[in-house]
Amino acid sequence: MPSVQLDQTPRQRWQKVLYKKQPFADNYVDQSFLEKLRKNVHARKYLYWAVVFESGVMIQQLCSVCVFVVIWWYMDMGLLAPQWLFGAGLVSSLIGYVFFDAIDSGAGRNESGRTRWADLKSSVVFVAFTYGFSPVLKTLTESISTDTIYAMSAFMLLGHLIFYDYGANAAIVSSTLSLNMAIFASVCLASRLPRSLHAFVMVTFAIQIFALWPMLQKKLKAQTPHCYVVITFLSAVSALVGLLTISSVGAVLFALLLVSISCLCPYCLIRLQLFKNNIHGPWDEAEIKEDLSKFLM
Amino acid sequence: MVLKVFFPACCSLAESGLLVGRWIPEQNSAVILAVVHFPFVPGQVKQYLAEVHHVTQVEVSVLGSWTNSKQAKEENLGRFLEDLSTIFSHDPWIQLSRKQGSKFWSCSTIWKHPSGDEGDETTLVYYDQRKVMLSQLHPPLDSEVAAASSLDRKVENASRLMAMFNTVSQSKVLFMKDRYDEGPIKLTHWQSEGVEASIIVELMKQASVPACLLVTFLLSLVSRVCQSRALTFWPLSFIWSKLSTCQQLRHRLQHLQVISSPKKAPDQSQLMRKANIFVSILLDVTLGILLMSWLYRKNRIGHLANALIPMADHVAQQLQDLLQWLMGVPAGLKMNRALDQVLGRFFLYHIHLWISYIHLMSPFIEMILWYVGLSACLGLTVALSILSDIIALLTFHIYCFYVYGARLYCLKIYGLSSLWRLFRGKKWNVLRQRVDSCSYDLDQLFIGTLLFTILLFLLPTTALYYLVFTLLRLLVVLVQGVIHLLVDLINSLPFYSVLLRLCRSYRLASGVKFRVLEQEAGKPLRLLMQINPLSYGGVMQAYRLPTYSCYPKDSWGSLCKKLFVGELIYPWKHKGEKQD
Amino acid sequence: MACRRGGNHKHCLSTTSPSISNCHKLPSCSSRTHNICMVSDFFYPNMGGVESHIYQLSQCLIERGHKVIIITHAYEDRKGIRYLTNGLKVYYLPLRVMYNQSTATTLFHSMPLLRYIFVRERVTIVHAHSSFSAMAHDALFHAKTMQLRTVFTDHSLFGFADVSSVLTNKLLTVSLCDTNHIICVSYTSKENTVLRATLDPKIVSVIPNAVDPTDFTPDPSRRDNSTITIVVVSRLVYRKGIDLLSGIIPDLCQKYPNLHFIVGGEGPKRIVLEEVRERYQLHDRVRLLGALEHQDVRNVLVQGHIFLNTSLTEAFCMAIVEAASCGLQVVSTKVGGIPEVLPDNLIILCDPSVKSLCNGLEKAISHLKSGSLLSPEIIHSQVKTFYTWRNVAERTEKVYDRVAGEIVLPMGKRLDRLISHCGPVTGCIFALLSVISFLFLMFLRWLTPDYLIDAAIDATGPYGAWTQQYFRKKRETLNSNS
Repeated sequence: MPSVQLDQTPRQRWQKVLYKKQPFADNYVDQSFLEKLRKNVHARKYLYWAVVFESGVMIQQLCSVCVFVVIWWYMDMGLLAPQWLFGAGLVSSLIGYVFFDAIDSGAGRNESGRTRWADLKSSVVFVAFTYGFSPVLKTLTESISTDTIYAMSAFMLLGHLIFYDYGANAAIVSSTLSLNMAIFASVCLASRLPRSLHAFVMVTFAIQIFALWPMLQKKLKAQTPHCYVVITFLSAVSALVGLLTISSVGAVLFALLLVSISCLCPYCLIRLQLFKNNIHGPWDEAEIKEDLSKFLM
Repeated sequence: MVLKVFFPACCSLAESGLLVGRWIPEQNSAVILAVVHFPFVPGQVKQYLAEVHHVTQVEVSVLGSWTNSKQAKEENLGRFLEDLSTIFSHDPWIQLSRKQGSKFWSCSTIWKHPSGDEGDETTLVYYDQRKVMLSQLHPPLDSEVAAASSLDRKVENASRLMAMFNTVSQSKVLFMKDRYDEGPIKLTHWQSEGVEASIIVELMKQASVPACLLVTFLLSLVSRVCQSRALTFWPLSFIWSKLSTCQQLRHRLQHLQVISSPKKAPDQSQLMRKANIFVSILLDVTLGILLMSWLYRKNRIGHLANALIPMADHVAQQLQDLLQWLMGVPAGLKMNRALDQVLGRFFLYHIHLWISYIHLMSPFIEMILWYVGLSACLGLTVALSILSDIIALLTFHIYCFYVYGARLYCLKIYGLSSLWRLFRGKKWNVLRQRVDSCSYDLDQLFIGTLLFTILLFLLPTTALYYLVFTLLRLLVVLVQGVIHLLVDLINSLPFYSVLLRLCRSYRLASGVKFRVLEQEAGKPLRLLMQINPLSYGGVMQAYRLPTYSCYPKDSWGSLCKKLFVGELIYPWKHKGEKQD
Repeated sequence: MACRRGGNHKHCLSTTSPSISNCHKLPSCSSRTHNICMVSDFFYPNMGGVESHIYQLSQCLIERGHKVIIITHAYEDRKGIRYLTNGLKVYYLPLRVMYNQSTATTLFHSMPLLRYIFVRERVTIVHAHSSFSAMAHDALFHAKTMQLRTVFTDHSLFGFADVSSVLTNKLLTVSLCDTNHIICVSYTSKENTVLRATLDPKIVSVIPNAVDPTDFTPDPSRRDNSTITIVVVSRLVYRKGIDLLSGIIPDLCQKYPNLHFIVGGEGPKRIVLEEVRERYQLHDRVRLLGALEHQDVRNVLVQGHIFLNTSLTEAFCMAIVEAASCGLQVVSTKVGGIPEVLPDNLIILCDPSVKSLCNGLEKAISHLKSGSLLSPEIIHSQVKTFYTWRNVAERTEKVYDRVAGEIVLPMGKRLDRLISHCGPVTGCIFALLSVISFLFLMFLRWLTPDYLIDAAIDATGPYGAWTQQYFRKKRETLNSNS
């Protein structure tokens, strides 16, 4: 375009080029100055209910942590027999396993190429190792103060929530670290339980709720969003009820937290989006939009 | 450029004559070596100088004339001296003259080929000929000078001085004249009276050669035995390399070979090295014999042997108590009870084994000590090395404990560090030498984290055992280190050079300084050159004898790091790493 | 310490006895001369665009009769004062390097040294380079406190999107709000800087970089005309678009069997190129040369027919000018200031994507095959008129002349400017800091008053001892030649 303009008025027109000696001072400011400035090119519009729906992942994870802590409390108090929990866990795992394949009628399994034999092997490894190590776990933290263990577990569970992969594409997300922190917390808490069978059941339950359950959730969310909403609601209710039996104040606070995350935060996000002022121009670092990894496959 | 005339101070009272010396054209300076007195036959002088030149490779020539007018009127002599310049042609021709009673000399130079710089000034520099001849000039060491440009200048200056010093020291022959030898030419220099030969010195010189040959033969015999196949097959050679006594003996053997070699030392530093080694061995053996005479008097060996066994017992007992303490609740630390008990019992069993071993040895201890004590006649250093080896053998159990503790700890740290990477979802990429992220399977993650938790909670127990035994080990290493340091000191200290510096400081020069003497207008500037002795630090740096044992190669930082990750630290030094 | 050493040098210099009478005869002497102090963390022995810019500009300014000194931080054992060609004096200050050759700054610890040097050298204009250099910002800050004129040259582009750029842009705003004049290397860079530091565009001049055309001459005989060679010379980092290159190489190599790549440079992305080479078995066609010395660049360039630049951001791309000066057809991404650098007949501009760059390269290859490409000598003769250091120096001199006529804001006005211009919080913090720095300066002046600091003998400049000799010699050789 500039060359066309040049042809029309060859002498006077200023050009945005460096190689030509132009009859203007070095600090000359042309009218075209900053004309390529763009604002908020990549800003996204959010819909309120879509954001609320997405916040379900976070609600689910908070509820999982809450349920886990409540169950541990019951075990520690001796209100829940380990056999019961183990039985319930086994049954729900089997149901979940069947459900996992049934939702997308085995498409996901074919894609990943994982056999049922491998699943069985993994579960045997889980059970065998946990069972084998449970006496060690029992004596592991004997000499360490209970408060230290609680603090450590709380810290680890918080870390689990922070690093959990909620679907955001940020550097801080690390699902491995998040899962490991949850397992670490569960081992710490399990070592406080009265017997080694308790410890074994507790760790097994932790794997179910922190490792297996989110996998099922992800699939549910992708395939049947309605079902996912219902399950989120159910898990929130169950966590609240469980918490209510322990502490009513805690239950109220937890309920407030859930409400603020699912309703208030999306509202704030959409309001604050209006104030966004992002500058773009030719000086921006170009983004590589193609997928270059295919060249290295 | 200023014309410099270096004039020997001893010749200032000499009678009139010719100045003999060397002309250094690059520096525009003349080094006067001696004065030839009247009367002489010019041809003889020339011939004599040619001989001297042939022997010393120094271009000695007649540089000018010297007039010391005692009588007031000797003008014709002055004219005669001027005529001499035509006989001994030299460019420039220097005429020095001294009036009686006057401190100031007059000096004139005659250039055959006037080159335009006629208005030269002359500077007279007096030097002490004997000291300059004997002294060894040390060029400045690189580390002392930071900036590159000034370094260049210093080196240049040093090389100029070096030329002057070399001139004087190389023309030794000029000064070596027998007292009773009446030559045709009379010279004045620092040794004008001549030297008197000593019969004893001559005899010793004669005797030293066969003595050296004999010693060399014996030494080669010994070293051949040492290198024989029977003593160098694997387990033995390993033990030899770890025993400091063997190292010290080998080192001394090398020293003896150096000083007994009948070859003449090629240069000054080699000569000094030989002398240093000789004095060091002499001192060492003297101290060793003193020690021996003290030990073998009044049955001290017996007392020592009797005290040794109870001491070892006592140490073992103390260790046992320490272990018992660790197995309880040491310092209020709460450790993992089960692991604590296992480790404690393991170590207790070891101590039990050790005590039995000591008691088995006890009847022979005195005899062993008696024979070992004899080795002190080989030198104090050998005796000290043996002492260090004995300490190492007697504290073998501590070493074992330390190794067990360190291995266990090291394993644990290593496991924890790789599991910590797994915990964060990373792994170590060996090919690229960096940490990569990696997606693990669920069961890998689970087992890894389980093990991580267990190892983490067991770490304090192992760490405590490791800490305690490391401290014990460090104590032993420290004692051995002090002994080694002492041995090293005796081995490496250049006693001869230090003595030389102490008694004849001018022999080791690091440079010169000039003092301005009284002046009178119109007379040449007079300077007195004095020798700066080398500093003691410089002596050490220049003449320190190389030794086999090195100080620990690691810095304190890397030592601490090694201790932290549980790598083994050794007191003995490896020969290969030393000599760099 | 540096100052003491300077004293020694003074004595060395005084022996050469400057003859002042000659000064008016100096060639191309401008109406007034300045004592300029270039400050940057980046200088030789470090290599790069900023470094050579400072050096070349200083040399040309010395030639024009100004006095120039350079201040940078010590590089390992290179510390104290060094003299470069024509008596260009470089102070290597003993300041601790923090990250990426940039010094750590506390805003105050460098003040005693810098003030001493400014006073010693009778500096009138402080010219700081590169916004990545902490020392440059420090020097600007102190120079303003000392009431010296300040000029700043920005060599880089910055985004506005992430947290780190928000912070650095704020600091730049503070640093530049009371700087007398700013120089940018391209118009895009000017727009960027004006936005980042919220400046009046009138005080921002655009003076491009330059290359020495005599260093980059074409040599078609070095080309292998049986093949087509594409040359890439850049640091192998993400910002230079090496990932794009890793997509282009296999794509084009499959299409053209006689195509070769030469890649010069070193960096973390080298591994990507190595993987591509391994994956597609291109060891004989893709040569990775590793790090290049500056003097070797030309010898690499002349071996190729086409120069490829894949940068994702670039203020002023020297590499493409160098390549064009060597007579190569340039293919480049259209980012930053690159479109301003070369006329359309010398460069093929593409979008920063593998597809577009491949199209551009194919176009260049077809031109090459059909022989419609300009010959290297023609390209060279065209390019060599574009950017010269003499021109840069002339234009920079104009900036200096202009700045010398301006006033430096007195303390009160400076505080007003800071508070009004940089936002209430940052403004107040930095106003406080400048007050502290002013008090610190008062303290330093009390400690060693200006009159106690002896002036350095000028090595360059109107009364410079070295330039006298230099120009006298030059004149003599000129005379003898003519």
